[in-house]
Amino acid sequence: MTSTAPQCPSCRKEVLLPGENSCFPFCSQRCRTIDLGKWLGGEYRIAAQSVDEDEDGDSPPPVRPTDA
Amino acid sequence: MDSTSPQPEASKPAEYNAASITVLEGLEAVRKRPGMYIGDTFVRGLHHLVYEVVDNSVDEALAGFATQVNVLIHVDNSITVIDDGRGIPVGPHPTVIGMDTLDVVMTKLHAGGKFENSAYKVSGGLHGVGVSCVNALSDWLHIEVQRNGKVYQQKYARGVPQQQVAEIGVTDKRGTKVSFHPDPTIFEVKDYDFDTLSTRLRELAFLNAGLHITINDERTGKSHDFCFEGGIVSFVEYINSAKTPIHDKPIALKADKDQIQVEIAMQWNEGYDEKIFTFANNINTPEGGTHLSGFKAALTKSINGYAERSGAWKDIKEQPTGDDAREGLAAVISVKIPQPQFEGQTKQKLGNSEVKGLVESIVNERLQQWLDENPQTAKKIVNKIGDAARARIAARKARETVRRKGVLDGLSLPGKLADCREKDPAKSELYIVEGDSAGGSAKQGRNALFQAILPLRGKILNVEKARIEKMLSSDAIVTLITALGTGVRAGNNTEDYKPDDIRYHRIILMTDADVDGSHIRTLLLTFFFRQMPEIIERGYIYIAQPPLFKITRGKKELYVKDEEARDQYLLNIATERTKLVRADKSEVQGQEFKDLLSKVIKYETRLEKMSLRKDHRVIDALIQATTLTADLLKDDEASADQFDEMVKYLEGRHPELVEWFARNGTRRVPDPEHSAKKYIIATEVNGASRETIIDVPFLTSPEFRELVALKASFQAFGPAPYELHIGDALFTATTYQEVLKLALDDAQHGVTMQRYKGLGEMNPEQLRDTTMDPAVRTMMQVKVSDAVEAERLFSLLMGDEVEPRRDFIEKFALNANLDL
Repeated sequence: MTSTAPQCPSCRKEVLLPGENSCFPFCSQRCRTIDLGKWLGGEYRIAAQSVDEDEDGDSPPPVRPTDA
Repeated sequence: MDSTSPQPEASKPAEYNAASITVLEGLEAVRKRPGMYIGDTFVRGLHHLVYEVVDNSVDEALAGFATQVNVLIHVDNSITVIDDGRGIPVGPHPTVIGMDTLDVVMTKLHAGGKFENSAYKVSGGLHGVGVSCVNALSDWLHIEVQRNGKVYQQKYARGVPQQQVAEIGVTDKRGTKVSFHPDPTIFEVKDYDFDTLSTRLRELAFLNAGLHITINDERTGKSHDFCFEGGIVSFVEYINSAKTPIHDKPIALKADKDQIQVEIAMQWNEGYDEKIFTFANNINTPEGGTHLSGFKAALTKSINGYAERSGAWKDIKEQPTGDDAREGLAAVISVKIPQPQFEGQTKQKLGNSEVKGLVESIVNERLQQWLDENPQTAKKIVNKIGDAARARIAARKARETVRRKGVLDGLSLPGKLADCREKDPAKSELYIVEGDSAGGSAKQGRNALFQAILPLRGKILNVEKARIEKMLSSDAIVTLITALGTGVRAGNNTEDYKPDDIRYHRIILMTDADVDGSHIRTLLLTFFFRQMPEIIERGYIYIAQPPLFKITRGKKELYVKDEEARDQYLLNIATERTKLVRADKSEVQGQEFKDLLSKVIKYETRLEKMSLRKDHRVIDALIQATTLTADLLKDDEASADQFDEMVKYLEGRHPELVEWFARNGTRRVPDPEHSAKKYIIATEVNGASRETIIDVPFLTSPEFRELVALKASFQAFGPAPYELHIGDALFTATTYQEVLKLALDDAQHGVTMQRYKGLGEMNPEQLRDTTMDPAVRTMMQVKVSDAVEAERLFSLLMGDEVEPRRDFIEKFALNANLDL
């Protein structure tokens, strides 16, 4: 894969490398805070393949079937 | 107080006349209370003296008579200011009987300059106290006026004229030259600062387009030469010189109304600071005032109006504020008014109420028009402001959540956390386990002395039909941060995040060995990498390696982590039971046989991988039956011979392909890039037509060469057919693949293999014995050896662009985090 200059995950501007940038991988503390806001707001989602009931945070854990 | 009283030199009693006494009455107040006039008697006041004199020269420039001002700092910290204006009038004053006009100017406080009501009439002068104050506060001041072809001179001591104004020569030039030395009995400091003076002079040069101002420091040889044709537009460019502006030229607005001149220049940069400089009559007003408030109101209104019409902020929940609009804005506002009123403790704020409405209406009208005329730039500006608003809202939300959920309190650990007894972080481990049932198993299987368990659930969202997304809920993130004990930084307070306070030095992500598990892992790694990069850098993050297979053979149970380990296990059994007997009766067995079979597996795996783009049967035949090389593709006859061999090989093994060849033929087309030909072999794979291209790049590729090398090592099999002794039975095989199949089929007798998909399928003991017990487990330490590349992968997975992301997930889902 071709390597390009790193980009800030929030604003997509090019950022300096960790040695010169205390906010890496972000360009600024502001962008880091924006990112945190997205985590806390549940904005980061990735496509899921399967739906398991027990993984849904809204439904109770499954009850395993037992022999009566 | 005596020491600060005027002390006319005893040697010149004759000059101490009636006029001088009048002078004394006026200037005595200045000397008694210098702070009232020039602020203080320290650095500020000392430099103020220069500004007063320079401002008189600038007034001449404003009136259109002077083009340059030269300032000299002499070795004794005296100052000379020279301009090429009209020269201060000389001759008997029309109303002050018995005094020369020059003496009046130099010794009388300006008519409007009454300090009691703090309203000074100025044209450009600083606070309107005038040059007479400078005179009063200098132990000596010499002035030379070039006017009407003559040169006049006057000398003062602490404001008192030392002679009659004298005509000392003739000239064809005009202007005024003032030299003075601040009175050491008044000022607590004596040294002029070159940079301080330069800053103000540069400002004046910006504020008065085209005016040439120089400064020379005779003490050090330092000098500056300021002249800005662009005026405040140049000023804005200067402020932005170290920044990246988002639009090329500053926006310039200029208007003249009701004797008030308004000039504004502004340009946004990519930064976040707001830099607005405001001036009234060239005087810096750092506390703003009516001109600034008029500008701010109009800016917000114009931008909001424009954005609303263009629909650029549709997605933003709340209207961007004035602060958003001014983020990254560099602006200079300069107003010139007949009667400025300065307010505030230090008179650094413009008070004229009529200015607000005027500036507001000018900016409203002109900026609106400018935005409409420059849609490209307007769009950039509006987008930038929209980003600022989104950022502000997101940051506030983050701060609120962190505060509300008590993330920073560090008092209580989350209820879901099953902590360990060990308190030394270096000895403690935290397993982050996906799903409640797996969390339960992990709790029972752990060593509670040093292993803590945090169950975490990925939340499934049904976003739209046929599209399901997975995320970590806000609560999950908060729980995670709280369990780690580091806090998190949601703003400017670095104290909120302390990576050193981390409670575990091994944080082990344990998720299912399926795509969803890998996604949760990727989410977690991304979170750590972005918000707590230190803990990845320090090597605290690990990925648990739960087994993929459980193998049962007789009473023995075994867990293996992946397909390769499973194959190795089966090969071990196979080589225990099977040996190969060559035609010459020599035998291949044990390790040698195992190595050979491993190579067959490798060969098959490679062929399998190649089958995505090519027909693996064709490639196999090419390898097995020909000695085709890249060079041979240059020779039609030789390469055709090779392909005949290939077809012959296929006839025996895959006759269906030969039929295809007969129907579709094999095409040979020129490949000028390699001065050769390439063969395109059309076949059918699982019902779909497939074109296998044999060209120079393929034949020289590492993949092809590896296959050739593997085939060479198969010579150890000897010539076909192959005789196999398995246990007591005898088998015959015609291909290597068949040998492998026979050996493995036998090995699988009495062996059952269970594939683990989820952690939940293992009971606590199994989980302990395979994945959690430090004595037997394997873990992968996450290293950010190439953090840049890692972030790129993460961004792609999380990116807003759905298509490349979906693509990426399909290709790399299971391995995404392994690329770290």
